[in-house]
Amino acid sequence: MVENVIELQGVEKTFRDFWLRPTVKAVAGLDLTVARGEVFGLLGPNGSGKSTTIKMILGLLSPSAGSVRLFGLSPRSVAARQRLGYLPELSYLHPFLTAKETLKYYAGLCNLDRRTAKERTSQLLAMVGLEDVANRAVGGFSKGMARRVALAASLIGKPELLVLDEPTSGLDPVSTNEVKTLVKTLAAGGMTILMTSHLLGDAEDVCSRIMIVNHGKSVAEGKIGEIGSSLNDFFLAKVGEGRDFEVAPFLK
Amino acid sequence: MKALWNIIKLELLANLRSRAFFLLTSASVLWMLVMPSVVKSDGTDEGARQLYVHYSLGGVFALVLVSLAAAAAGSLSRDRAAKRLQLTMVRPVRYFLIAAGRYLALLTIGAAELVLAAGILACKTDASRPCDHVLSPILPSVWEEAEDMYEVYMNDVETPKEVRAMSKEDVVALLAAKAPDHYQTVGTNETASWEFAYLGTTDKLRVQLRFTNMYDTREDVNGRFSLGQATGAVSNITQAVAKVPLSGVAGPSDGLARVLTFENHGGSSVMLRPRRDIQLLVEADSLACNLTRATLELVAMLSVALAFAMFLGASLGRSVAVFAVITMLVLTALTPSVVADADEFASEKMDRIGYRIAKFTEKFTRPLGALVPLEKLANDVCVERAEVVRVMTLNLGVYPLLLLMLSALVIPRKQDGL
Repeated sequence: MVENVIELQGVEKTFRDFWLRPTVKAVAGLDLTVARGEVFGLLGPNGSGKSTTIKMILGLLSPSAGSVRLFGLSPRSVAARQRLGYLPELSYLHPFLTAKETLKYYAGLCNLDRRTAKERTSQLLAMVGLEDVANRAVGGFSKGMARRVALAASLIGKPELLVLDEPTSGLDPVSTNEVKTLVKTLAAGGMTILMTSHLLGDAEDVCSRIMIVNHGKSVAEGKIGEIGSSLNDFFLAKVGEGRDFEVAPFLK
Repeated sequence: MKALWNIIKLELLANLRSRAFFLLTSASVLWMLVMPSVVKSDGTDEGARQLYVHYSLGGVFALVLVSLAAAAAGSLSRDRAAKRLQLTMVRPVRYFLIAAGRYLALLTIGAAELVLAAGILACKTDASRPCDHVLSPILPSVWEEAEDMYEVYMNDVETPKEVRAMSKEDVVALLAAKAPDHYQTVGTNETASWEFAYLGTTDKLRVQLRFTNMYDTREDVNGRFSLGQATGAVSNITQAVAKVPLSGVAGPSDGLARVLTFENHGGSSVMLRPRRDIQLLVEADSLACNLTRATLELVAMLSVALAFAMFLGASLGRSVAVFAVITMLVLTALTPSVVADADEFASEKMDRIGYRIAKFTEKFTRPLGALVPLEKLANDVCVERAEVVRVMTLNLGVYPLLLLMLSALVIPRKQDGL
């Protein structure tokens, strides 16, 4: 029997203002399952509820209705978080730490012993090509370099589930290809990966299954090979073409 | 524990690399070194020493308290706003440890600053100077005294009619507040006695007398104190506070060792407030030991402020949390003088409500606002071990633990946007 790593059932999320009046319904009854070993792509236009869904999976937000289970556990349980790695959309690193200290910090949070932490830190820095700048403060890094540090930090605990929010955001084409290859390699090693991306080509290259969400609801779900057209056409068919900007009169 | 240590290390590094620690240390050392040359005392060495002891360490404590409390309030909220907190929250770390690690790091910095300041103070003063246990007479509680006085006070024709209109409970509360200022008159050739809890066997005993009346009245005071076999004479007092040495040993085998008597041989009556003006001083240990205990108490006081600031930081946005913590520290510093100078017998309802609020705030913030250990240290009064243990248990143990547990509950809810 295939084990579900992520299970969302009837999940809703309504944001409220200071007086607890509902302001936005970001997710409206979402069902989602991700099985072990899958590379699952959560796709959708801006404001469709992808990030909110990911935050509920990570336990950073609690659902207003429905249930979220991670490895059959509450996402806020320490046991579930022990098996989790997360790369956010922006790197959010501590600017005063060096790349090496950043990885050691997250290794410590994962309760790794000193030797393992040291080994994994050097291996990961080599993997993302930052050995030469390992002792430089990350505050001075370019966006791409910071992204690599964040990616390495998300992997330091050797997670069973890796959640990647726009993993190629801010990376040049070469680095983007490297990340895609890495994702495929990790998936081949049995890691479950949930990723979001605006770049449909990226999702098409690495994901085994996708879900398209719009207005907080699932509008399509399926395996990449079963879509029948290019992912771009499929996406536009499900979400809509959008509209052309009408140029403001003073700009004409 | 590894996770906790990593969070502590992160917060320490944040403070070290932002130069905040360096600036705080420089300011503290400078204050300790410059203070003796700027202090203006009453002209006596004793006065200068008292001011230096109080305000040098007091200044550093205020500096450390305000800067670290602001840092504690900003620590969690800053990382939450910068979205760095979520990266820690998705790791297998209990939320309690996220708050506790930051609190412990800031407490370590604060403790290091205070120990450094105390070390400089010890070097710049006579650290071998003795301090005293201060014992007050055993008297009925202020509430018992107030209850006893109630009928007499209400039957007094001079009692204002507004006070008469107040409930018995309110009047008793006002009388209890005034009880420490009740005078006892010892007439010429009369003897007064007060019981103390003294059970020791030292020959280094003194009676401390405080005179609030005029100098010429003090000058006429002439009498003899006795405590068991120990006796001491007093006459022609020139200082507002006089310390009368008792010669001879008042040991526990002596049945009278707990009762201090005063025979007034002077030409006029002596007026004393037993709750404020008469105390028994028993030599304890050195200023160095006292300084150690006072520093421990200050660290404990800092601890509770940091834990509270951490809780505010967990619950509120950064600017609101920092503003709230600074406001609370200002209130904490102001309320003792507001309460001390207030007219408890104010007949206006609003004044009474204001007094009650100030009194409540003062009671709530007394552990920080009173700066008791500094006051004692400056006056060579022993900071008692039992008090240090009590303060440390509460301020370094119980209160921070509760506040950090509350912070742990709040962290995910605040992240959730509530």
